[in-house]
Amino acid sequence: MSDLGDRPSAFPSGRILMLIGMGVAVFIWYASYLLYLQVVRGGEYRVRAVNITRQLEKLPAQRGEIYDRNYNLPLVLNVDSFALTIVPAEIPPDMLDTVFAKLAALVDMPITDIQKKIPPAYYRLFQPIEILPSIEQGVINSLAERLDEFPGVSWYSRPKRNYLETGSFSHLIGYVGEISRDELKVFYNKGYQPGDIIGKSGIERQYDSVLRGRDGRQFKTVDVKGRRIDGAVRDVDPPIMGNNISLTIDRNTQILAEKALGERIGSIVVLKPATGEILAMVSYPRYNSNAIIARSGNNEYARLLNDPGNPLINRAIQSSYPPASTFKTIMTTAIIEEKAFPLEAKVLCTGEISYGDRVFRCWIRKPGHGRLDLAGALAQSCDVYFWEVGRDKLGIERIVDYAKQFGFGVATGIDLPGETEGFVPTPQWKERKFHEKWLGGDTLNLAIGQGYLLVSPLQLANMMALVVNEGVIYQPRILKDIRDPASGSIISRTTTEVLSASRISKDTFKLAKDYLRGVITDGTAHYPLSTKAVTVAGKTGTAEVGFADRWHSWFVGYGPADAQNPEDVIVVVSMIEASNPWEWWAPYATNIVFQGYFANEPYEEAAAKLGLLKRPAAAIGRVE
Amino acid sequence: MLTIRTLSRSIDWIVVAAIATLMTLGVMFIYSSGINSEGDLVSSEYIKQAIWAATGILVMLGVTLLEPKRLPDYTVIIYGFFLIVLVYTLIFGRVVNGARSWLGVGDLGIQPSEFMKIATIVFLSRYIEMSLHEGHSFKRFAVSLAIVVVPMGLILSQPDFGTALVFLPIYLGVAFIGGVSPRYLAFLMLTGSLAIVMTVMPLWQGLVSTKPALFMRLFYEAPYVYYVMGAALLALMLAIAGYRFFRKRYYYWISYVSLIGFLGLGSSLVGQRILKDYQVMRLVVFLDPSVDPLGSGWNILQSITAIGSGGFLGKGFLQGTQSHYRYLPQQSTDFIFSIISEELGFIGGVLVFALFLLIAFRLILSIRTLSSAFQRSVVAGVFSMILFHFMINTGMTMGIMPITGIPLLFLSYGGSSLWAICLGVGLCLGIGARRYES
Repeated sequence: MSDLGDRPSAFPSGRILMLIGMGVAVFIWYASYLLYLQVVRGGEYRVRAVNITRQLEKLPAQRGEIYDRNYNLPLVLNVDSFALTIVPAEIPPDMLDTVFAKLAALVDMPITDIQKKIPPAYYRLFQPIEILPSIEQGVINSLAERLDEFPGVSWYSRPKRNYLETGSFSHLIGYVGEISRDELKVFYNKGYQPGDIIGKSGIERQYDSVLRGRDGRQFKTVDVKGRRIDGAVRDVDPPIMGNNISLTIDRNTQILAEKALGERIGSIVVLKPATGEILAMVSYPRYNSNAIIARSGNNEYARLLNDPGNPLINRAIQSSYPPASTFKTIMTTAIIEEKAFPLEAKVLCTGEISYGDRVFRCWIRKPGHGRLDLAGALAQSCDVYFWEVGRDKLGIERIVDYAKQFGFGVATGIDLPGETEGFVPTPQWKERKFHEKWLGGDTLNLAIGQGYLLVSPLQLANMMALVVNEGVIYQPRILKDIRDPASGSIISRTTTEVLSASRISKDTFKLAKDYLRGVITDGTAHYPLSTKAVTVAGKTGTAEVGFADRWHSWFVGYGPADAQNPEDVIVVVSMIEASNPWEWWAPYATNIVFQGYFANEPYEEAAAKLGLLKRPAAAIGRVE
Repeated sequence: MLTIRTLSRSIDWIVVAAIATLMTLGVMFIYSSGINSEGDLVSSEYIKQAIWAATGILVMLGVTLLEPKRLPDYTVIIYGFFLIVLVYTLIFGRVVNGARSWLGVGDLGIQPSEFMKIATIVFLSRYIEMSLHEGHSFKRFAVSLAIVVVPMGLILSQPDFGTALVFLPIYLGVAFIGGVSPRYLAFLMLTGSLAIVMTVMPLWQGLVSTKPALFMRLFYEAPYVYYVMGAALLALMLAIAGYRFFRKRYYYWISYVSLIGFLGLGSSLVGQRILKDYQVMRLVVFLDPSVDPLGSGWNILQSITAIGSGGFLGKGFLQGTQSHYRYLPQQSTDFIFSIISEELGFIGGVLVFALFLLIAFRLILSIRTLSSAFQRSVVAGVFSMILFHFMINTGMTMGIMPITGIPLLFLSYGGSSLWAICLGVGLCLGIGARRYES
């Protein structure tokens, strides 16, 4: 019984219909939208669901090891280490600071370093960001135990480079580091990714593509906290190991040369002229590759950059100097070949000549060498002879032409990054550069390897190689072969290739060799090159750098001078940036290298046999 | 008075069966949501839910025993009682999810705001019936609205935006069926919509549009908005004056529109002050989840992904990946529909829709046969409540409704909302069972 007597039929059914219509409309709308989501776009969402739960894990490829030419003991290998990464978006926003602080304490790094690596702009990034490239197993263990406290934090195995041989090997082998933004721009198309380790210098850089191999990938299914779900299907794309490399460097010779140079600023190169193989390449001051890749490596690198001695520079190929009297080797060859001056004809050296308003003094000063023919002039390194013959008989054009035939002024193309080209001055160049005419005085300077002429120690080794090979320079190289990392079998080997050939006749070279031998038998290098282990030929040099107390001491030589088999011959170049008389060490260092190499003795033994250990410094005199 | 036997014969068992089915699904998927990625059960929520569901059914059937004709007499007491409880909650309640909305000790507790919905429905219906003679009067509109606004305000200050919002459709449903002037209801809806849109607009413009439209800035940026409101007020005065003198209908409509504009903008300004940024953000995110893919948008994106990846037939019970790997948030409460759709697919989703549609249908159809305005209004209120909860919750999981954090009735984990709706449906069933009794 209704209070107000409303009859049921009286109720306006329009309103009910409206509500029913609303319900039906919502149902149709929702059901069709659900159909759209699940059926029309279902595939898309299934892919997305898989992607969300799938996390890419990098399986780093083992970088190839580096060996010397004997392929017995590695110079570089890899040790176990882990890279620590953070996926910022997996850290709940209110926990960011806590996680950072805890992590900083655990791995013992300032929290600001983490905050610098993950600025607020990255907080929503799902990409893992590397925090530390290498941490030890122990830290990983304690991290794994407390993983719940570290959302978004993970790690992956990344073997760390261990340079077993540092010392002079560091310049050759170089070091690795995380790819920089600029490098990424250049190498992105070659498959490099942010966070990759790339060779930064030396062989590591030159042959990065050989050594690095290819990183593998593995997909793992993870829950929202990034924990792996066991039993889920894993797609694995295995890593491909990098290839091993064997260098032309001979470990013993390298160490011998390193010790022979000692702690003198300079460089020694040992080259096998018959093949172009570099047996040793030493530069001082040097750096330690392990210190650069260590955790405090950035500080070490900054220190090296600011060091006035430029220890990062490999002086054997990255620095150039006036070749000084060693250039007389080229002058001699040119005079013989061009028949510019009779070989027996003599020039009187009174210790100086006047030219224009200047007086040019032979290194021996007054009263001079007396009368010398070409052989004597080379042996005594008489400046006056080469001034007069060079200026009056040979002429600047021919001197420049010969310098270029000997490989000066162009890079040798050695397989190491950052090589210098050196420089050969020409009258055209001087006019262009200084708007001054090329003067006779410039020719005088060039004739004795001074002035604007610049060569690297390796170029000087090539110069001597041309003489030894009688007209050919072989491409200098440091890579011997590439080997399979598992079996050690050779995948490819570098071959001997001609870098340049000259028009000079073989007879000329034969004569020049005799003269160069004369430098040792009765010339300036008679006493320093005292080794009995091998017959040596070569040329000394002392470049004046323009400062009263700075010289560059050179020696370039080869031996055995009487070799039957050209394969036996080695060329040794020593260059020392001397600032004290007792550092005119280049001929002595070369002496030790020849002795040690041919007598198969280590440095200590060779030096002792030559009487160069603990020898009073003053007794070592200047040789020109 | 009906005997138990006749009552049991006249109860709409279809509705009971539909609800029981939904509750079973709910318990099943609350169980599923408690399984973690290792396949272990880590939550006992499903047991509690099963108990609540069973007792809920009993409550529902028990309520049908009440004599609907005597109910109006107690509505004031019920309404007043729950208002006091709400005030008490506001002062002494427990804070859950940022809202002081819980009463109780330890694990045991109730959410009085859920029961307030039913209390409001019955008291509002009582007023509607008592004021039938006033017809379309403004007083009837205003008083009935006030009955809803008081609890709504209390709940808003907990603050629980989502639950408070439910009171609006409840009011609209009851008032619409109860015969409050549709013109006023339309006025309320339009003003409310304008207020909400303009509350969200500043944040939305700042986040989504690269260049905020100059025109829109007039309506939310000080001081322009004050000029616009001033203009609306002026138009309102002129139109009222015009209506006074000339009695032309269009003056009436001009003042109608002007007032909507004035009040809508005014309350949007108030809304911008009151609402927390994250609440406004939810509305913005609903419009474009990619605005905040890891904050509020995360929930929506994960939910859509879970639903979409379910496909037509679903991944199978307990086989969902998004849910078990915990990508899906609040699986047992707000996002229960997502896990159902992921594991049972389109078939399961539509089944849920159909069950809700069936319940709504049965309720609304029963209105036609009811003789008292009170009873019609109660059923309309419960109908509105179910439909609104359904629409907002499942819409939210599919990304077509804003995230408001209101549960899917019968399915979502939670005793209070379950018992409250069982009470409501029980009343409707009791009313329906006695429809031919007069």
